[in-house]
Amino acid sequence: MERGIVIVGLNHRTAPVEIRERVAFSNGRLEPALRRLVELGDVAEGAILSTCNRVEVIACGADPAAVGRALPGFLAAVHGVPDALLAEHLYAFNGREAVRHLFRVAASLDSMVVGEPQILGQLKEQYAAAAATGASGQVLHRCFHKSFSVAKKIRRETGIAEKAVSIGSAAVELARGIFDSLADKTAMLVGAGAMGELTARQLLGHGIGSVMVANRTFDRAVDVARELDGMPVPWEQLAKTLPLADLVIGAASGDDYLLGAAVFDEALRERRRRPMFVIDLAVPRSVDPAVNALDGVYLYDIDDLEGVIADNRGARAREAAKAETIVEAEVEAFWRWFTSLDTVPTIVALREKLETIRRRELERTLAALGDVDPRQREAVERLSATIVNKILHGPLTALRRHQGDREQAFYVEAARRLFRLADPTAEDDEEE
Amino acid sequence: MELTLLRTAMFLYLAATMAALVGIAVRRELPQILLPRLLLVAVLVHAVSIVLRSAAAHHLALTTFDETLSFLALLLVALFLAVQRARPLVALGAIVSPLAFGLSFAADVVYEGVRPLPPVLRSPLFPVHVILSSLGDAVLALAFCASLLYLLQERRLKSRRVRGWFQHLPSLETLDRFNYRCLVWGLTLLTLGIVTGIVWAHTAWVGIWSSDPKLVFSLAAWVVYVALLQGRMTAGWRGRRAATLTIAGFALILVSFVGVNVLGLGEHGKAF
Repeated sequence: MERGIVIVGLNHRTAPVEIRERVAFSNGRLEPALRRLVELGDVAEGAILSTCNRVEVIACGADPAAVGRALPGFLAAVHGVPDALLAEHLYAFNGREAVRHLFRVAASLDSMVVGEPQILGQLKEQYAAAAATGASGQVLHRCFHKSFSVAKKIRRETGIAEKAVSIGSAAVELARGIFDSLADKTAMLVGAGAMGELTARQLLGHGIGSVMVANRTFDRAVDVARELDGMPVPWEQLAKTLPLADLVIGAASGDDYLLGAAVFDEALRERRRRPMFVIDLAVPRSVDPAVNALDGVYLYDIDDLEGVIADNRGARAREAAKAETIVEAEVEAFWRWFTSLDTVPTIVALREKLETIRRRELERTLAALGDVDPRQREAVERLSATIVNKILHGPLTALRRHQGDREQAFYVEAARRLFRLADPTAEDDEEE
Repeated sequence: MELTLLRTAMFLYLAATMAALVGIAVRRELPQILLPRLLLVAVLVHAVSIVLRSAAAHHLALTTFDETLSFLALLLVALFLAVQRARPLVALGAIVSPLAFGLSFAADVVYEGVRPLPPVLRSPLFPVHVILSSLGDAVLALAFCASLLYLLQERRLKSRRVRGWFQHLPSLETLDRFNYRCLVWGLTLLTLGIVTGIVWAHTAWVGIWSSDPKLVFSLAAWVVYVALLQGRMTAGWRGRRAATLTIAGFALILVSFVGVNVLGLGEHGKAF
């Protein structure tokens, strides 16, 4: 019987949102579920990952097949949904595959938007919950922490997260081609709808200096401006304040273009031709396309931005291939460590080590004693064997007692370190 | 020996060009580290070549056409390296390096070897004039490089086809500001160069200097740069217009430099 790690779950590819929302672990439901998870007979350690795109149960135990059989039922029972409802949406990973899956999830290789940064934070949060409730132990501790460092390594060494894939970050990427620094720049939001507000917020998140908000109904402009820590601008004052804006976000539609070439021409004169970056998110468009012909104005409409994003997605996919190679190597390293934690080989190694020491010291002592008769010789040999066995008794009993339970990894690793047994994971890669 | 060193520097400029091109295409660390080092070695080798030549000639080796071309390449790269220390602009290196290669290649092509100093150049004003003019030319060459990048970046952003080779160019604002700074310094040096030249020519050539074609084209370039500076300071010229005028001004400098010397026109054309 070999210990193993198992993941059972569903994600945005295998299950529609109607299913995902029924098995999601909302705030407050995670901790009780974790406690219930480790009460399952076969589960030594467990953790749960629940985001809007995926719900996964990760467990390890002495009998991975039994764990794998128990988890779907657990997921259904804990949410009070029928087993059959989930069956066709669930996937299961076992052993090395499970480790690979976790690493890929952490590195955002399994995400809907490959390279998106949120998943790592969610993973850390939910692992912390598992650690706090005592559901996770030595193995999952190492497995999760390794997944965090793999994710960081991938972020560092590949361009997987380099390219913008949201409207806001695509706008920022383009703005960096125009402006030296964003901190001293002002954005003007024209039309305080949800889309515009979201984009303005993303721009602020990327370090743009300040925001002005203009809206047809001034009250709404005031509200949104307060939310964004910006300045509201009355609709009538729009043309007059436009020269102050380095970045214009057009997010309001009308029967005709709200901002025409004449308004921008005037604004540019006022700005002494300092460049203006205009993004038009509205459909129908709010800025006259002729504006792009003015010297010093760079106008991008929603399709242009989507085009940039689509290109970047392609670039991310190419980087993802590099990331998979990194994952592969790290899975191997983890698996070497994991299998070293098996009890039987550890016991064998421990015995061999002490036996070698006993033999060597025995030879040395007998040589020093010189002439000894066979009886004396046997007594000395017996003495040494008894001492070794008595010393070994405690550690071996502990190792055998914890074989298969959640303390196993702890005892095995302690034994390996205390007695300096050969470590198959030679590189020490504990972090944080 | 000095020619071998010049050629070594020349090939290093070519290697730096490759590194810079790779640098703007992929933005990985290696070319960013490699570019300034290659150029630094090139500049040192180049400087030694000029020193050796001066030692052989027993005067500052800035008199013949090939000497001035070579000196200009050296100054251009040295200035770029000084700028690069404050702010790494790999993309600028992608224009500076081939330009330096071109200049030193031209110097190699028209190489004449050491020649005795003509009597007319034996004046304390001569090195002052040559060094100021060359420095001015080199700074304006940097402005020219930045302007080319500006036009590339501007076209990329205007066309909204932002993918492709030039994804990692510096921002328009950075380039425009750099261009302005170069204009102020370059114009100052160029003015001083022209003034010292006139003062000196007035005593050396007596009467004929005012129709010297090199001087005429330098003055034409000077007028373009002054108009640009005036426009920038009062009318808020910037961006594409400033870049285009900078390029036009530098084209006139190139004509004054290459055209006049190659065709052997006027007093400058006789030897230097």
